[in-house]
Amino acid sequence: MARHQIGNHIRRLRFEAGEMTQKDLAERVGVTRQTIVAIEAAKYSPTLELSFQIARVFGRPLEEVFYYGEEPAG
Amino acid sequence: MSFGERDAITGLISMLIAAAMFYLSLTGKFEAGLFDGPEGLQVWARSVLWLIFYSIGIAIAVAISFAILYAILTGEKKPSGLRDERDRMIEVRAMRIAAVITSVGIFAAVFSLAWGWASAMGAFNIILITCSLAEVVKDLFKITCYRRGF
Repeated sequence: MARHQIGNHIRRLRFEAGEMTQKDLAERVGVTRQTIVAIEAAKYSPTLELSFQIARVFGRPLEEVFYYGEEPAG
Repeated sequence: MSFGERDAITGLISMLIAAAMFYLSLTGKFEAGLFDGPEGLQVWARSVLWLIFYSIGIAIAVAISFAILYAILTGEKKPSGLRDERDRMIEVRAMRIAAVITSVGIFAAVFSLAWGWASAMGAFNIILITCSLAEVVKDLFKITCYRRGF
């Protein structure tokens, strides 16, 4: 199935947040680990609510966690 | 494996077992001539009612067996029963596909009756078969969504 156009930097942000595991992130935002796996692989676009929750966990604004279309440089 | 995925797999296995048992028993009854005569439809209806009862039993047995097998294979003592937004979205899409298949079945049954291609029992069988098919397709769709993403 087609990859979604909404990409993200969750993997990098997890690494920067003391190598937070997918399970830890999933527990903090109240979803399954499989959903985090699917989001990271851009196979599922989360709802706006979940996107904000994920961004809040990393203490970043939404646009620093998610991007639309091409991955921004830098 | 998430709760939604396990649920879809057990649903599919239960459905296949129940349908296979039902259609085998239906074939046996048909060969014995139990559906001939004015009480044929009544016999058919009773068989369907039994199908509903033993499907519940099969579903429970399969769910328990699968949970035990899953715990042994993965070593996960208390698997999560969490359903999140992705599970709900997959469920909605799968239900939509199942509804389309069921609608086609109902339309085909009414169409067959209207044109005299099928008896009342034949029409009911068309509906029953498409309902079974809809369940199977629904679970297969869900499993595909969980495996490949959507």
